[in-house]
Amino acid sequence: MSTPAITIENLTKEFTNPSVFSRGKVTAVENLSLTVEPGQVYGLLGPNGSGKSTTMKIVLGLVVPTSGRTCIFGRDSRDVESREAVGFLPENPYFYKFLTGSETLSFYGRLCGLGGKMLRDRSRELLALVGLETAADRRVGGYSKGMLQRIGLAQALVQDPRLLVLDEPTAGVDPAGSHEIRDLILRLKQRGITVLLCSHLLSQVQEICDRIGIMNHGQLVREGALDDLISIENQTEFVLENASPALLAELRERASAAGARVVCEQKPQQNLERYFLEVTAEQGGEKK
Amino acid sequence: MTSGNTRTAAAVHASAHKLFSLRRTAAIATNTFRDLVRQKVFYFMLVFGLIIIGVSLALASFSFQGQLQTVMDVCLGAMSVFTMLLAVLATAMMLPKDMEDRTLYTILAKPVSRFEYLVGKLAGVTMILVVATLLMTAAFFVVLHFWQGREIENLQLTEPAERAAAAISKIKAGTFTPTLLGGIGVILLRSIVCAALTLMLSCFATSWLFTVIVSLMVILAGHLVPIARSVWQGPLGAADAPFHIAILMRLITVFVPDMQLFNIVDDIAVGISVDAGVFLHIAGLGAGYVLVYLLVGWLFFAWREL
Amino acid sequence: MKGRILGILVLLVWGIAKSSFEARLEQRMENTRLGGFKLTASLRQQAGQAGFIAALGGLRATVADLLWISADSAWRKVQYGRMKLIFDTCTAMQPRRVLFWDISAWHMAWNGAAHIANHEPDPVARAAKMREFFLLGKDFLERGIESNPGSWELHDRLGMLYHDKLKDSENASKSYEEASKRPGALEYTRRFAAYYLAEVPGREREAYARLMALFHESEHEWLPTLFRHIQELEAKLDIPDAERIWHAVVKLANTPGNESSAYPGLVDLIKTGSREPAVVEAARALEQKMDIPAARRVKLPPHK
Ligand SMILES: Nc1ncnc2c1ncn2[C@@H]1O[C@H](COP(=O)(O)OP(=O)(O)OP(=O)(O)O)[C@@H](O)[C@H]1O
Ligand SMILES: [Mg+2]
Repeated sequence: MSTPAITIENLTKEFTNPSVFSRGKVTAVENLSLTVEPGQVYGLLGPNGSGKSTTMKIVLGLVVPTSGRTCIFGRDSRDVESREAVGFLPENPYFYKFLTGSETLSFYGRLCGLGGKMLRDRSRELLALVGLETAADRRVGGYSKGMLQRIGLAQALVQDPRLLVLDEPTAGVDPAGSHEIRDLILRLKQRGITVLLCSHLLSQVQEICDRIGIMNHGQLVREGALDDLISIENQTEFVLENASPALLAELRERASAAGARVVCEQKPQQNLERYFLEVTAEQGGEKK
Repeated sequence: MTSGNTRTAAAVHASAHKLFSLRRTAAIATNTFRDLVRQKVFYFMLVFGLIIIGVSLALASFSFQGQLQTVMDVCLGAMSVFTMLLAVLATAMMLPKDMEDRTLYTILAKPVSRFEYLVGKLAGVTMILVVATLLMTAAFFVVLHFWQGREIENLQLTEPAERAAAAISKIKAGTFTPTLLGGIGVILLRSIVCAALTLMLSCFATSWLFTVIVSLMVILAGHLVPIARSVWQGPLGAADAPFHIAILMRLITVFVPDMQLFNIVDDIAVGISVDAGVFLHIAGLGAGYVLVYLLVGWLFFAWREL
Repeated sequence: MKGRILGILVLLVWGIAKSSFEARLEQRMENTRLGGFKLTASLRQQAGQAGFIAALGGLRATVADLLWISADSAWRKVQYGRMKLIFDTCTAMQPRRVLFWDISAWHMAWNGAAHIANHEPDPVARAAKMREFFLLGKDFLERGIESNPGSWELHDRLGMLYHDKLKDSENASKSYEEASKRPGALEYTRRFAAYYLAEVPGREREAYARLMALFHESEHEWLPTLFRHIQELEAKLDIPDAERIWHAVVKLANTPGNESSAYPGLVDLIKTGSREPAVVEAARALEQKMDIPAARRVKLPPHK
């Protein structure tokens, strides 16, 4: 496809801080340009306050840029039509307290022009997808943080968008859920859906993103394909099981004979995440 | 997971994007309505019921002429105050709450224009106001019916036959009149105008308290518009008002809606009949206010940082 | 910023358009007597009060009612000054409420004056103070009529006040005349307009014509007061014997089949001073014919 999913050109956003004594300005985003190609999973990284959320809001037309412009599939973000095929999950999403989970989904579905049986089927499907079937008829006001995140994700997917913008999709979600969301994103990617996400969980970003951009103080400081950025071309990692000390000594010897250097040798520890998942799976933990 | 079917369906809808979609607006309106209902705004109506029943009982212990008219005055007065308060309070909370909870982000991230959002919100409040007015009217008519019977009974007991007959036929013809229904319609219309005004104010206000206070002040000032008008255009003329006062009064008549024109309920109980032409003019004026306030609210809201 | 400027511009344009529309609509509603609360000259002077009343919005009528009920306690405490104040405010708030004017006037001219009559020992002061109260009542009624020109009740009440309190039959007649012209007016207002005219010196001829018109209209109008006034005027104006009303009544009595309507007429003639032998004769004849027991037959008044 030729039109990029997201184009950001020379984007700058200044907020005037309404302070009582002075009208100080905060530059949230400064001269940012980047492109997300269709089918990519793009990770926007950066410390707190670096302008990730602001960039996403501008892309979705929720915030007006001070200068520069953004497009979604070639349509200017200021046009309502540009949001036809976009799903957005804001950070810390919150919904109408008095609606149930399934009512929430059908509300967002109707905003996208869906209705009738199609919408009912779709929202049931999505509730199952995010693991909220049992909470479908409970009011959102009583949802936990992770449940809100899940319903938020379901809401973003309601019209089966071509582009997903996810602002910290796994914040507050338990590791199992977080894992599922990761898998879900990978599945979406397989179906050709473009994803722009930001997250502080770098290990996850590493697992799912094709391309990342690192922001700091509103500027894009590094950008590129993940493999290009972090793989170390001249190193190789092995993990052996049941290796005898003799075998290890032999390996070390052969390596130095061949002119290679052993950079590090250690016993790998079990990943805490994997351990947690094993334990909760043993308990047959059913997620709510 | 997702079947190909919904994908194409969504795509069809996407290609058929309309500048203003009734469907999206209706989704927001019904959602607003449902949200307000579940917030138990109709408990408000219970208070109304208690007030009119309480007043009825209190009046029964007094004995004076014109009880029927008093019951009518009190019920209509309570209705106009209740609908107005309901309109202002329910509307003032909506926008700030959506912004604070960031529900607005998820809504506007869908293909929903800000204008559709505002129209939907106003339509939702209007639905609440219509239902509230219907409920209050039903309660009011029950009470009124009871008092009409009572008044007729009293007349039969106390007045000589000829006078009683005349008075009774006057009461029968003068209680449930088209003017009364029209007056209730004007109460409803005024509450919708108040809701539109509040919505417009909340489109640039930064707190709901500000919105409530300013709305109530504008509504209050709206009742003084005839006085302001008479200063610069009445028989006394602007001649005896200092220049700056005259300018201030002129500004009030321009920027504040004349609420007194919507205030025909105060005169309904005395048995005037209002011709359809006047009602039509009032309806036109009210519709004008609602449209203009929506438009201005949208202008304030369209460029607003969320 | 752009939006705000545009928005305020729209409000300004709409405001200019709507303010002239509103002024015209207000005019139209005033013409249909809507919007009972009006800035009268006296209210305009009391800007505070006018503003307060206007600000009540949809509660104006309710507040007026509650205030009205409070006048009742003032009455029980015999505070006529406070009552007048309350009445003035109530009527200013709700000038279209006829009852307010009516009862206010009644409290002043009847109850207030009666209170003076019972409590003022000095006869000169008593008369003066009572007259003051009568005039207060008259003032309420006149202002009420100004706000409710279509109300027959207020004219009726004013006629009663003129006649019973101010002893001004001419104005009483005029007021009843006005009352009778208004829709819904009861029959008696027309009669009273004619009856009281008969009491005005110098207008006997006019009154006689009016009363005779009533007399000829229907037997329904043959009431003792009518007969008394006509017979008095017949004497005063020296109406030729042949034209006097007793002829007509006797004639009716002599027409068979009309006994039951003619007899009350004869009785009233006798009771209101007729000495005509023909009348008495006709009455006696009918009494016999109708088998009226002696005890219930009409008694002749003693001759002077
Ligand atoms: N509405 C606003 N008004 C004023 N300043 C704002 C506003 N929104 C964001 N900012 C400022 O812009 C800067 C960037 O904020 P942003 O929310 O984009 O950061 P972020 O990268 O998403 O951070 P985090 O990782 O904490 O979510 C911050 O300094 C923030 O204070
Ligand atoms: Mg953020």
